Parts: sequence; structure tokens; C-alpha cells
Amino acid sequence: MSEEDQVKVALVSCGSEFAGVQSQLDSAAEQVNAKLVYPEMDISSLDTIEMEFGLQVASADLKLMMARAKAVVEGTARVDGVFVTSCFRCAEAAIVRNEVRRYIHQNSDIPVISYSFTERTTAATLLTRMEALTTIARRKHLLAREKQTGLTVGLDSGSTTTKAAIMRDNELIGEGWVPTVNVVESARKAYDIALEQAGIKEEDVQAIGTTGYGRFLLGEHFNAQLVQEEITVNSKGAVYLAGTQKGPATVIDIGGMDNKAISVEDGIPGMFTMGGICAGASGRFLEMTAKRLGVEITELGKLAVKGMQAKVEMNSYCIVFGIQSLVNSLAQGSAAQDVAAAACHSVVEQIFEQQLQEVEVKEPLILVGGSSLIEGIPKALGDLLKIDVVVPPHSQLIGAVGAALLASGYVED
Amino acid sequence: MTKVFIYPTNSLILSDLIERFGHTPLAVMGEIHDKITTIGIDSPPLNITPEDPKHGLKYAAVEVPAGVRGRMSLIGPLIDEAEAAIIVDDAAISFGCMGCARTNELTKFLTRDKGIPVLELVYPYSDAEGKEFVYKISEFLDSLPKEDRS
Amino acid sequence: MGAHEDGTLTKLVVISSDSVLPIDAALEIYESETNITIKETCFGTMVTGPEDVVNRVVKEVVKLDKNHIFVKERGFPPGDDRRCRAGRGGGPRPGFHFLRNEIGMLPIIGKALDDYDNNVPLEKVVRPEKLKVSHLKDIIESEITR
Repeated sequence: MSEEDQVKVALVSCGSEFAGVQSQLDSAAEQVNAKLVYPEMDISSLDTIEMEFGLQVASADLKLMMARAKAVVEGTARVDGVFVTSCFRCAEAAIVRNEVRRYIHQNSDIPVISYSFTERTTAATLLTRMEALTTIARRKHLLAREKQTGLTVGLDSGSTTTKAAIMRDNELIGEGWVPTVNVVESARKAYDIALEQAGIKEEDVQAIGTTGYGRFLLGEHFNAQLVQEEITVNSKGAVYLAGTQKGPATVIDIGGMDNKAISVEDGIPGMFTMGGICAGASGRFLEMTAKRLGVEITELGKLAVKGMQAKVEMNSYCIVFGIQSLVNSLAQGSAAQDVAAAACHSVVEQIFEQQLQEVEVKEPLILVGGSSLIEGIPKALGDLLKIDVVVPPHSQLIGAVGAALLASGYVED
Repeated sequence: MTKVFIYPTNSLILSDLIERFGHTPLAVMGEIHDKITTIGIDSPPLNITPEDPKHGLKYAAVEVPAGVRGRMSLIGPLIDEAEAAIIVDDAAISFGCMGCARTNELTKFLTRDKGIPVLELVYPYSDAEGKEFVYKISEFLDSLPKEDRS
Repeated sequence: MGAHEDGTLTKLVVISSDSVLPIDAALEIYESETNITIKETCFGTMVTGPEDVVNRVVKEVVKLDKNHIFVKERGFPPGDDRRCRAGRGGGPRPGFHFLRNEIGMLPIIGKALDDYDNNVPLEKVVRPEKLKVSHLKDIIESEITR
């Protein structure tokens, strides 16, 4: 399909019409030029679907979900993507939602994204997901790319820092990493640093990709060939840098303001969650912790690895309370390394409780984003999940590298 | 005439039999009619907006999924209005308005808990069962006050 | 069913009769009124219009074979964009699957209504009871010794 075509998305859902979110789903789809349809299906399959699928359910509408999924897989319904969704907090639907997503993923090459909603879910929340889904449908050829070719640039305009990566023939030759002040100016700065390091001229660059919060602005300013949300880009960037492009992976990105947990299959994002409850689970909290402890943010991790988190009680559900318990524990004479360890543990714990509950954690677990460089964080995450956490080289450049890699799809051979 | 709540709330058979025997069925189709003809709301297909699951809080707490509460905002007022009820159970075939098992459990509970006359049956699958089904319903409906009697 | 504020009503008429065809019902409706809309579907006839007219017309149709024609209200008028397959694409509406099952039972209900009208006494329906454990034990033992 061409990039301009309307994407037909099968809505495989339970409860959306009754929860007041149907119009939000429709509106999010419309914004990315997609149309939600109920997949055409064989009526009689409803009588047999439970045993065929192997999952018996009490709610008949969940049977409908399975039957619709089957229709999609078998091609009875012709669609470009599938959005699987059900009520948040419904255990029965969560089982069906996950199994249906897995079933579609394993038995077809149709992109599928799954999400659970409440009555407060808005089109804005759904937009990134719908954008990711339609991207996978429209740009499949691009996502299949496993090697970077030509000379390309990726710009990642994050909420806290802006990253630039220059790649040539599958090699990173220049990087820039600056705090985000003004979206365009900061990107310019990061780009210039990367250009200097790479020793190349801007006019030799063959394609540019932008991602992150400021992607649209940068896309316009730098005439980018690719403007892409960060779920798709980061998934690709993470498995590329970690060297695990085939098969399953879980990507956790701890950003300056929010976090993402993405379950990835063959470099393509499946289920994902975005955002914590509060900045308490983000890089910003770690920055404040470092400041309080009087160390550089780059030193915080080393300090944390030496400490024992259990010695300090820390609550980072809220950044204000988090800092409060930090100040209290220091006042009570806790050692700086223990406080640093507790801060790292607290951030990881919130990610576990708020985000990893909704995605399947499959190894390898790839930790990316600036916070992954704070050694205490991967250690705390590994301790909590009892698995080895992979921090790939250049993990802070994940978005920029992913964008440069994907942008190389626009380089003419 | 007695207002009889029906379960399944969208049943053709129950709706028909109750009207046939001279009473008023309380079914979800009427609620949906009112919903979709409400002027000024544009939230297709059922015109259920994020406000409706909040109305559902009257029947289920906030930790109950939004889809259950949204459905209860349609069904709950019918139970409130009911003077009698007929419950026919067959989860296997309940789709659409009846598609959520948790809503259905709550609906049946609230109906039984109300202390109104309730007739509970199973769907008939043979002539003999069908006869029993119809006779029991007619007997039950006959026992309810009719307008012309009062 | 209570009156609706907008004064309209949609009813679904399902024919499960040996003597009346859906087309007969449709003709009955066509002949009776002009300000109502009807739509024949694979599972019945939908009648939409002013509440009193719809009720009157449907009553006439049911009279054609009263124990074998069934009626319920429908929330959406026929062809409503929000519900119509044409607009939303794809398969049947969720409520259809339940209706399909109920329609399958209508011959049984119709026959029972005939019996009811003819005062045929009700015979006790015997439903198999759960097997007693002691009886199951006997069966197992007799099977083993065979």
C-alpha cells in the first residue's frame, strides 16, 4: 500500500461501545487516515470458536473477539492492521486480549496492537498507538530494514535532552547529546556536534529521520524524509543496537519525563505502555537525587551500585514525596550510596508496578534511554525481575540511531 | 399492567411473551432508542459517552471496568423501575448488550436482591421444554396485577 | 414499553409461520399506512414510524398468525449510519448473534402457545439428574469385571 492510502484497521474489541471510548477510537484512527471496521466473519464460527481457539470464556463478546481474530488470520476479513482492545481491569478480557494478539501475530503478518481502556481514555492517548499501527502497515518495507545504508542522520527531540546520530554504512560515526531548551536550536546544536565528530559536511547527508516530542517541528525545519513516533523508532533502534533483531524482546526506555515499556517481535512493536503516574519514575527524579547528594548525574549510578537499597525507605510514586524521603533519610544519617541505590530501586519499582504489568516481559530485556547509563538502574531492574538486563552500546541514542536506520530506507541505491 | 424486567435484556421471546400476556416488558432496546435519539450527543454508535460509565457508579464501584459500568447505566434504571422480572439463563448465546459476563452477573444479582417477584427459567430446546417454558411464564404473568383489575 | 420522547418507534417482526410469509406481512403493512417505513431483512421485518401507528400496524400483522409471529422493539431504526454494516463495514451487529439463536427456538414457542390456547395440559418435563456416586461406582465395577 502507498503512504497516502487509508489504512483499514480491524477493531477486535469488547466493551468499547459501552465504555464511552468508541468515538475516541474512531477519532484517533481518523487522525492517522485509518478507518476502524468490524471484521467480516463466518457467523457459524461463533458456535465452535472456543474449542477451536482452545479458550473458553464466560463473556460471549470475547468469543466474538476470537472469531473476528480468526476471520482476520484466515483472510475472510481483509484488513491492514488490527487493534485489539478491552476494558482495563477485566481479567477475563485481558487473557483473551493477549492470546488474540499473540494468535494474530503468530499466524499472520498483519500488524496488531493491543490496549486496555477506561472511560477516561482519550483520542490523544490512543493516537501514538494508532500512529504506530498504521506506520507498521504502511511502512512495513522500512521496518524490515536491518542494516543502515548510505549517510543518514537521526534526530531525537526528547523532553529533557536532544540527541543526534550520524551513521554511514551501518556504523555510527557521529553523535550529539544536549539538553533540550528550544526544540529546533537544541537539535541544531546536537546535529553540529555530531557533524564535527563525524567529520562530514551537512550537504552530503542523504536522508534525515526525526522522532520524539519535537519530531514534527524538526521534520519541517530539517526537511526530514521520515517523521516517526518514538514507539516504532525506539523498538527498531533498541533491537538494532542490542543485535537482537529477530524474535522477541522487551524494550524499556526510561526517559526524562516518561517511560515506555514495549514488547517487540522481530523489531516490530506489539503491546506497549507509555508514561508513569508521576515524574517520580523518570530521569528527572534521578537528576534531583544526584543534586541532593551533591554528585554529578553520571556518578549517581556508580554510587548506587555500591549501596544497599533496603537500608533506605523510599517512595517515588510522587516526585515530591520521593525527594522528601530522600531528605529525611539523609537527615537520619543514611549513607549516600544507600540513598542512591534506593532512588534507583524506587524508579525501577514503579516501572514494574505501573508499566510492566501490561506488557509481556520476554528476554532479552533491553534497557535504553539516558537513565540506562546510571548503572544502578539496570542493576535494580535485573534484581527485581530476576533476569539479565541488556544495556546496548550508545543506549542513550536509541531514538536517534533508530531514526537514522529507518531514514536510510529513503536513500536511493 | 406490571412492568416486567427481562433477562436477557434484549430478548425477543421474553419481550414478546410479556406484551402478549398483557404486561409491559422493560428491555434495553427502549433505553438504546432514547440514547441514540438524544439531541446534541454525537458519540456513535450507541451515543454512550464517558459520562455514562460514571452514571454506572450507582450500580458498581469504580474498580469495576468501564464497560460494565457503561452497560449498567443502561440496564440499572430498568431494574430500578421493575415490578417483576423473568430471568432466562444461557450464557453461551448472549452477545452485544448481553456480551459481558460480569455485567450479567451483576444484573441478575441486583434483580434478585430487589425483592420483587422473579421467575427463573432456562431456554427450551425441545417441544416439551418449550411448553413448560411458555406455561410457566403465562402462570407467572397471570399472578401479577393487571391494570384492568386494579 | 414506555413512550419515547421523540414519538417514534422501531419494531422488529419475526415470522415463524407455516401459513404467513414475510412478504404477506410486508404487504399488510404497505397497504395499511403510508407514513411508516419498513425494511425486510433476513431475520424479520423492521417497522419504523410514529409510535401509535407502528403499534397498530404490528398488531394487525400479528393477527395473521398470532402464535407464530413475534415482536420486539429495536433501539436503532433500520439503516442507521451508526449501526449499519455499510457504514461500519464488516460482519453482523453483535445483537444479531443472540437474535439468531432465539429465532431458532421460535417454532417451539409457537407450538407451546398453540397448546396453551387449546388448553392442552402440561406434562411434567423429566430432566436427567446428576448420577449418584454410588451408582457410578456400580457401573465402574461392573465394567471392570466384564
